[in-house]
Amino acid sequence: MSAMLILVFGLLILVNATTFVMIQRTASVNQTIEHAQQMRRASRTTLISMLNAETAQRGFLLTGRSDFLQPYRDARAEMEPAVAFLDEGAIQDPTLKAPIERIHRLADLKWAEMERTVTLAQQGRIGQSIQSVRSGEGKRYMDELRVAVEDFDTIKSTRIAERSRASERFGVLTVTMNAIAGLLVIVLALLSAWMVRRYVSEIQGARATLDAANAGLEDKIRERTGDLMRANEEIQRFAYIVSHDLRAPLVNVMGYTSELEQAGKIVDKAIADAEKTRAVDPDVVMAIREDMPEAIGFIRASTEKMDRLINAILKLSREGRRNLLPETLDMTAMAQNIANSVHHQTEASGARIEVQPLPEIESDRISMEQIMGNLIDNAVKYLDVSRPGEIVVSGEDVPGGWVVYRVADNGRGIAPRDHERIFELFRRSGKQDRSGEGLGLAFVRNSVRRIGGTIDIESELGKGSTFLLKFPKRLILAEPGGAL
Amino acid sequence: MTQPVKIIMVEDDHGHAKLIEKNIRRANINNEIKHFDEGGAALDYLFSEEILANGPLLILLDLNLPDMSGTDILEKVKSNDRLKRAPVVVLTTTDDKVEIQRCYDLGCNVYITKPVDYESFAGAIRQLGLFLSVIQAPEI
Repeated sequence: MSAMLILVFGLLILVNATTFVMIQRTASVNQTIEHAQQMRRASRTTLISMLNAETAQRGFLLTGRSDFLQPYRDARAEMEPAVAFLDEGAIQDPTLKAPIERIHRLADLKWAEMERTVTLAQQGRIGQSIQSVRSGEGKRYMDELRVAVEDFDTIKSTRIAERSRASERFGVLTVTMNAIAGLLVIVLALLSAWMVRRYVSEIQGARATLDAANAGLEDKIRERTGDLMRANEEIQRFAYIVSHDLRAPLVNVMGYTSELEQAGKIVDKAIADAEKTRAVDPDVVMAIREDMPEAIGFIRASTEKMDRLINAILKLSREGRRNLLPETLDMTAMAQNIANSVHHQTEASGARIEVQPLPEIESDRISMEQIMGNLIDNAVKYLDVSRPGEIVVSGEDVPGGWVVYRVADNGRGIAPRDHERIFELFRRSGKQDRSGEGLGLAFVRNSVRRIGGTIDIESELGKGSTFLLKFPKRLILAEPGGAL
Repeated sequence: MTQPVKIIMVEDDHGHAKLIEKNIRRANINNEIKHFDEGGAALDYLFSEEILANGPLLILLDLNLPDMSGTDILEKVKSNDRLKRAPVVVLTTTDDKVEIQRCYDLGCNVYITKPVDYESFAGAIRQLGLFLSVIQAPEI
């Protein structure tokens, strides 16, 4: 298609160039015609001047009046440039050299003859002068000149006719070329229009396909998002119900353990009373004073732990149901506040928290505070005692509407096999010498995901850890205040 | 002399019921306690002519019941012209804010969360007992 277009373009340019050449040629042909006409005129002028001069000469010879010589001189003056023009033409066109030289020679001869007669007459030798005229020499020259000019004229008119025909041919050719050019322009216009139409329809077709695909995609996304939200809601409800229903039996376990303890105390008191009067079976004493309190202690510790775990699940499920409220957050100030709140701990261990300037974010304040707070708390909590703690909070904007924050420490680090595990509920890594339920990072990841972000860890055991957070610069909720 | 206040306890967990009763008694509340372990039976009893005719009542209500939600009972009680005067104490494990609001909106008079920690639980019930000993339940 485009090859055709290029071909038509090329042809058009060719035709234009040809037309241009044609016009040039026609112009030059016309110029030569013009020149030939001038030559013709010059040859005629020569002849006419000569005739005029001859008439004047004869008048002078007849009358002897010198005023007849004036036209004679004028004729000479008139003829000289004409002859000079002819000579120039002979130099330009060597083929004309012979006839022009002939005219020139005859003119010279005639002039010489006339000068001679005029001079004789002026000297008073009029008879001699008439004799010279009578000899017919002048007449012969004149006749020959007439023939020569006639011949020259014939040559010239033949040439002019030829040139005119050539000019006409060129003219016809130019018109033809122009017609072809016009035709080509129309072809080009039609071709272009057709191509544009074809491209436009192709583009429209492609756009329609794309729109359809997009619409399908959006529907699919909406459907999937709906599924995900339903699944998420179900999980949240499940966690909520489970944690509530687990609490009810726990109230009983705790309650009756206490009742049992109370009862044990009463029995203990009875035994103490009995011991005052008689010996009591040591097994009974052992059961009441040691075995029972020990068993009750374990039951109580376990139920308390279970209660904490249930509360953690409850908190997590509640966090998942909290409405998000996006606002512009000064993250540098927030991180600095958190750093200040753990100041007493860092000061005691000689650690330092550096908060670099952080980019702003438009997101949920409570979520961001929980995330940053947990990560900084963890960094402080798990520093390596063998070296002074260095915690750096940094961040920057990332192309594509994202923000990245980093919480880096030189603490004890996390073994690669635990990099995923630490984000799971109730899971902890490394030496268990710090209090904790294994909730912090589970909450962090939950919160990060809720506000559309991701969290990653880069850590080497014994060297330190860096938590990488990536969030959308602007949190946009599907429905205002709703859950993501 | 007005009739003594009768305490209606709707609680599906027998352990809880017993603990509640024990601790109320420990607070020297000797009013009759009528226990139901499901909502349907409790409603039947509450709406019987005998009860409607012989007030005053105080209702202790758990929210998580096997056959219905405690809020359903609350709603029915509070929409009955006579029963609505009876004070309702919601005593449950749920401490969800939305649920608490809903209960008060429906006309619950007191909302108490059952603490898992028994000392707190017993303390709360005993305090409820003290509260019961001073409140005046209207005739219904």
